[in-house]
Amino acid sequence: MSSPGAPPPPVATLAIDARDVAKTFRAGWLGRRRTPALQGVSLTVGRSVIFGLLGPNGAGKTTLLSILATLLVPDAGTATVLGLDVVRDANALRRRLNMASGRPSFLWSLRVAEIVAFYGRLYGLHGAALARRVDALVEQYELTAYRRTPYNELSTGLKQRVALAKALVNDPELLFLDEPTLGLDPDVSVRVRQHIADLRRERGMTIVLTTHYMREAEELCDEIAFIKDGRILARGTAADLKRQIRLGDVIALKLDPPRLPWLAEAPGVLRLEESDGWVACTVDDAEKRLPELLRAFHAEGVVVRNVQVREPELEEVFVELAR
Amino acid sequence: MSLRAEALAVWAVVLRNTLMGVRNLFFFFELLFWPVVGVLSIGLMTRFLGLTPEQSAFVLVGTIALSVVNVCQLEVAYAMLLDVWSKSVKHQFMAPIGVRHLTVGAWLVGIARGLVIFVLLAVLGRWAFGFALGAPGIAVVGAFLAGCFLTAWIVGVLVCALVTIFGTRAEAFAWASVNLVLVLAGIYYPVSVLPAPMALVAKAIPLTYFLDAYRAHLGFAPEFAAPVATGFALSAVYAVLAHWAFHAAVERARRTGLLLKMSE
Ligand SMILES: Nc1ncnc2c1ncn2[C@@H]1O[C@H](COP(=O)(O)OP(=O)(O)OP(=O)(O)O)[C@@H](O)[C@H]1O
Ligand SMILES: [Mg+2]
Repeated sequence: MSSPGAPPPPVATLAIDARDVAKTFRAGWLGRRRTPALQGVSLTVGRSVIFGLLGPNGAGKTTLLSILATLLVPDAGTATVLGLDVVRDANALRRRLNMASGRPSFLWSLRVAEIVAFYGRLYGLHGAALARRVDALVEQYELTAYRRTPYNELSTGLKQRVALAKALVNDPELLFLDEPTLGLDPDVSVRVRQHIADLRRERGMTIVLTTHYMREAEELCDEIAFIKDGRILARGTAADLKRQIRLGDVIALKLDPPRLPWLAEAPGVLRLEESDGWVACTVDDAEKRLPELLRAFHAEGVVVRNVQVREPELEEVFVELAR
Repeated sequence: MSLRAEALAVWAVVLRNTLMGVRNLFFFFELLFWPVVGVLSIGLMTRFLGLTPEQSAFVLVGTIALSVVNVCQLEVAYAMLLDVWSKSVKHQFMAPIGVRHLTVGAWLVGIARGLVIFVLLAVLGRWAFGFALGAPGIAVVGAFLAGCFLTAWIVGVLVCALVTIFGTRAEAFAWASVNLVLVLAGIYYPVSVLPAPMALVAKAIPLTYFLDAYRAHLGFAPEFAAPVATGFALSAVYAVLAHWAFHAAVERARRTGLLLKMSE
């Protein structure tokens, strides 16, 4: 989504340029049960960006990733990925992207190294180059001890690491990660996030990920799009989104006297809540309003015993948008 | 795609199917059990019925053909079924390969399995019933086997297409298809005994011609003028059609979302 009026950036600088993409799934007798999964999504993502897709369950995140990864053909709209059309140039595009999901599954009896090697061959690797790539990935994802373990004997975390190793076997320019840290313990999650950040920093990889963890989105993503009911509702940096949604900043005050009738009417104040002797004052912009308020308190002879300023959490933005 | 990349993708599938076959006892059972049971029971039946050695050979070669076709056909179907079972379908269709790599790779493994079965059953037939399968000479046996493998390839690719259209519901086709061949291709009888409409269907099946050609060397009057050539020509046409169907099924699954459904 580019802001209205602004010319779209030239195609070559974009990793993804999707326009009005729509997809409806049909099920049941003669396809009469319809699920509109995407209803006209337009999205641009620059190169070497980590882009996050957030949204409630069933919002269409996986559907969108699948279309961009050539696994699903859209009903309407066009999508250009790495300068190639996802439908017409699908095969050329497939060499240059890859995908891993948080619920991975591979052939049950194949061993870790065999899985990575199998997909490596499908992407044209062979001989010493293949062996080197497999070794490097196995080592990088700390799978060395499990090289010869059959896939169905691995724990969730290990399976996820195999999926990541597989997704990097063709050294993709664009990587899709569908809930990459789903079900991982905090320690492993942190390392996976670190690794995702490294991929972008060291190789300039473009990464589009979906997640339900707001911390993850805030920590990793340069930009976030919020998607709901198959539509993009908002897009920007985490800070942009907080501003766009106008949740406001909270200035918590401990005042003497504790109650000031005029405070609710002061300019920029959206809401007041009182508890435990604190007044939580939601304002449109704390940086602008705090000095104003302090001046007013001073003029009125109100003593300010304590002040805390808090920006809204991304989670609050999420809840607000998902409503 | 360069020739090397083509070969590599095929090789990847060969390795994958081989590893899965070696590691799953179930597949081994399939490889040995039914063919042996088939040849033994049919062989004993020919003895009970007091058939001439030629008649016994006629029937036994049918059983052996059926076993070889079945084993090879299942392996081709595994090209798709393995991934459907393990819910990993999307990965291979996200890679820059075509359905041909899957079907050729799995077929090569199927041929290897089919050859093992063929040799095993030939030895068993010889030992238990004195039937010399190799007697008509290497060229005749070679053409016969080629016919079995081509038929298996076509049926297997069609099963892949069906599974890709209907999902796991279509799995039964993989096991049922061989019985259709059994009835129609004249496994236990010459096609001439079939009622006219069925005979027409039988004439559309390549295996019918390869069986006819082989049996001509056992002293039975051939039913077709140039059976081997006809069999190869038909096989070529069907192989192309089956691949087209499989490819179309995959493209359809990309539209309906079944490709994703089979991956979760
Ligand atoms: N392959 C499919 N066949 C039929 N319907 C589907 C398919 N995939 C998704 N849907 C439906 O499309 C809608 C969007 O699903 P999607 O998986 O894209 O949501 P999501 O945002 O990824 O949700 P989650 O956070 O739960 O993963 C849902 O209503 C879902 O049931
Ligand atoms: Mg999803």
